[in-house]
Amino acid sequence: MLFKFKNAKISGVLTIVPKNVVKFDDEVNNYTFSPKQTLKLKKIMGYEERRIAPSGVCTSDLCEYGVKYLFENKLLKKDEIDALILVTQSPDYYMPATSNILHGKLGLKEDVVCMDINQGCCGYIIGLIQSFMLLEQPSIKKVLLLNGDVLSPKISKKDRNSCPIAGDGASVTVLEKTEYSEFVLADIKTDGANAMCLNIPAGGFRMPCSAETAVMKQDECGNIRSLNNLVMRGDDVFNFVMTKVPTQIEFLLKENNMTKEELDYFVCHQPNRFMLQKLADKLEVNYEKLPNNIVEKFGNSSGATIPTNLCYNFKDELLNKTLKVCLSGFGIGLTWASMLINIGKLDFCEIIEY
Amino acid sequence: MEELLEQLADILEIDEIKPQDEFESFEDWDSLSVLSIIAMVQSKYKIVLTATEVRNSKTAQGLFELIKNKG
Repeated sequence: MLFKFKNAKISGVLTIVPKNVVKFDDEVNNYTFSPKQTLKLKKIMGYEERRIAPSGVCTSDLCEYGVKYLFENKLLKKDEIDALILVTQSPDYYMPATSNILHGKLGLKEDVVCMDINQGCCGYIIGLIQSFMLLEQPSIKKVLLLNGDVLSPKISKKDRNSCPIAGDGASVTVLEKTEYSEFVLADIKTDGANAMCLNIPAGGFRMPCSAETAVMKQDECGNIRSLNNLVMRGDDVFNFVMTKVPTQIEFLLKENNMTKEELDYFVCHQPNRFMLQKLADKLEVNYEKLPNNIVEKFGNSSGATIPTNLCYNFKDELLNKTLKVCLSGFGIGLTWASMLINIGKLDFCEIIEY
Repeated sequence: MEELLEQLADILEIDEIKPQDEFESFEDWDSLSVLSIIAMVQSKYKIVLTATEVRNSKTAQGLFELIKNKG
């Protein structure tokens, strides 16, 4: 599904990461790796450090902390916010929506649209598209997009498929109307037949958590997890990314009469270093143009890896000039979404610790 | 086949692999090797394999035939 937007822009990006650093080296005994395998994994996958929220801290806590930081530092005014979108897979409750809870905690005015969107790896792009759609309304001038996940409590420490890459984090993005015609082009695609490639089997209405779902079992690859834990078919996800994402990006470039060379950067979701290098190879762009260093520093915080990538790698550039970038997210759903956008001269672009 | 053997030896970090060698007999054989093979086959031969297919192919010869049949 192709989307075109104009007269709106991103005016600031803030990333919130937990202070707590977990090192791969300290956890390596949880898995059955030989020392040689450990070295290889660090080198190839980029396993190094990840940020994990303290027990009891939820996505909404990171978001609330981030928005209040913007209020306190006069980077955002409370009354200007016309819509609050929260994209997460780790809400506080089934009901009510966590965006409504945040609306209350932040003390926003009544005349605000709140919505929760359940999306992961490409949640940032989905959230941006939703924000741009809302900005087409005459009464909406500023949108607050919150996107993040604290999924570490759902990941088995003995699952070497998922645990060494998992990170917690959140982001706050402010979008607003502009008087000039800024151009944004995006595409979303869905493959629901493979929706269970990445899932948490128990805990919803289909399979409520019980004593049985909490039983830890070993799979054929030696990973130990329960039905309450996140499970991923890594090879299927890899194949899906390699076949679908380059096609989507090339489609968008063609649609915009642009070449890869005209883009400054490819700011992608960060599953692991290996997949991103292979994606860059397939797109025939060099690794400097498609950074892959977020997992090694922060871990994979699903949708929030794109804002983390923007703030960590491009802070100075984004504060001072405008970049032409391709944002791309891919994963759970299966969903893949990419966006060509001019972004820069931001009011703020930084990473803060919770 | 020669080219495939070289690629596999590279992935498994060994000097040489013979067509009948069982993948699982190598010390370094793990899920990362499987993923590396999937990635290599995609970029070299433009063929998409699943992890189960790679594991079930057992040997370099098996993998070679799998690629041939899928090509």
